[in-house]
Amino acid sequence: MTRRTRRFVLISASVLIVGIGTGLIASYFGLRTLTFGGNGTEELAYIPHDAALVAFVDVRRVMDSELRRRIQPLRPGARLNDGRDFLTRTGINIETDIDLMVAALPPGGASDRRPLVLARGRFDRVRIEGLMRERDGGAEDYRGARLLTSVEGDQRFAVAFVEPGLVAFGPVADVRRAIDTKSAEGDSMTGNLEMMALIRDMDAGDAWAAGRWDAMTAAGGLPQGFANQMPAITWFAATGRIGSGIEGALRAEASTDEAATDLRETIRGFMALARLQTRQRAALSTLIDSLQLGGEGRTVSVAFMFPADTIDALAALQGP
Amino acid sequence: MTATTRTRFWTAATRIFELSFGEMLWSRRTIFMALVVGGPVLLAIAARFAAVNGSVRMRVNGVGLGSDDVFGMMIWLLFLRFSVPVLGVFYGTALIADEVEDKTITYLFTRPIPRAAVLIGKYLAYLACTTLVVLPAVTIIYFALVPLAQVPASFGQLLEDLGILALGLAVYGALFALMGASLKRPLITGLVFAFGWEQVALLVPGYLRQFTVVYHLQALFPHAMPSGRAVSLQAVFRDTSSPVTSVCWLLAMMGACLALAARAVERREYVLEQ
Repeated sequence: MTRRTRRFVLISASVLIVGIGTGLIASYFGLRTLTFGGNGTEELAYIPHDAALVAFVDVRRVMDSELRRRIQPLRPGARLNDGRDFLTRTGINIETDIDLMVAALPPGGASDRRPLVLARGRFDRVRIEGLMRERDGGAEDYRGARLLTSVEGDQRFAVAFVEPGLVAFGPVADVRRAIDTKSAEGDSMTGNLEMMALIRDMDAGDAWAAGRWDAMTAAGGLPQGFANQMPAITWFAATGRIGSGIEGALRAEASTDEAATDLRETIRGFMALARLQTRQRAALSTLIDSLQLGGEGRTVSVAFMFPADTIDALAALQGP
Repeated sequence: MTATTRTRFWTAATRIFELSFGEMLWSRRTIFMALVVGGPVLLAIAARFAAVNGSVRMRVNGVGLGSDDVFGMMIWLLFLRFSVPVLGVFYGTALIADEVEDKTITYLFTRPIPRAAVLIGKYLAYLACTTLVVLPAVTIIYFALVPLAQVPASFGQLLEDLGILALGLAVYGALFALMGASLKRPLITGLVFAFGWEQVALLVPGYLRQFTVVYHLQALFPHAMPSGRAVSLQAVFRDTSSPVTSVCWLLAMMGACLALAARAVERREYVLEQ
């Protein structure tokens, strides 16, 4: 074998070994948590460190998923309205223009406060600017980013082109703060170690959310009476993989070990009650049986898996 | 075959492998192979740039394709259905035919080694040469197309793809080596087989498709095309056998073709045109 043949073999084998090695490391050790460019990691640089809630959706995967195609015929009215308001307001079509979205709620947000949203995709700047101007909007340059503003009710909203293929929209103050945060004048979410630890655990999903429990209750995510009776929870997180079905997990961090035990018991009780009530309905029963309660110490987790068959059966229960 | 004969056979095959590997790698065919394999690599890099810029998004019947869908389509269309058979035809048929054409086969056959060892050595050289080009290229395409965040979800499919491509190269190589060893114009016959018979037999209902290589490779293919489309490229070939049956068929085809090719080389009298 000549030297150049040996060199060729060496290079080819190296490419193969490095590729397979990288894949194995990424699969088994979660390399994406160490790198930028994962599920919304880059966009987190725009989110202020004190955001109460951060959520991510791989819009493309969800839109193209088998699950969405299965669900769509069941809600024809909703399909017509999906994103229509948003399209009219901003000129951005969620179905076709956006690949992924990261949303954040600022601390102490009221239930009617809109979140800051960062969306990566393909955007027609001229069309968006035209639509915003039609709605008595203004335009300005803010730290090198084009900021389009409009007024809705008593709130001012903005859409900013912060990077090629990346827009930020939401209340003007939040969008400005996001640009400041990226410009390193404010601390970003990537510096919030507690939240980042939660996010790293959750970001394998096509959609995930992580945040402070009080933010969830303040944002009106739970009925006040129910929220008051829950054991003391500090953090919560959720993740889901969407394909032909849904596979996911919910996780809560209680303030003490006792609170975590109480929470586990509460959930166990709900599960038992649900099992009793769904015994006659196979589809619902499968759904309840798929719930798996876990976690230790202050952590409580519930994993679930709704296969496509279960979703079809639930749809059949709902009727035409 | 005694142990000594077997050892001598494999020693001879290894020597032929060493001799042929370099020759094969730096032959004019390599330029062709670089084009066949390099094209998809460039295409993948361009697709990645387009995706990063957000300028282009691939759609089939209005439904957007994810990066792993695009990767699956590229492997299926560009490699399984094109590159692998083409490389098999061009390299496999040339294993013996080139030596006959160059009138150098006499030098090999007058050496004190079994004739079958010549074929096996050259076949192993073909396998090493093509897999060392195709598999790294596929790995590059995968990492060019699939974002690192999605690697854990689809990495298993890459490994399956690499295995299927290696198996495809091995089976096609053996089949076309048999053609090269037995037929007078193996290249034309090989091209007719790969792009005529295999395509037609797949579309004909019944058992005929079982006598194609691509049918069994298709059964092992791990990627599902995005479903729910009126026209799915794979819909035509959805009726496949079980993976275990297909692997057995493919290994049987490879073994039978190699054995027949070795037998043909041992028995056939090659007449060199003067």
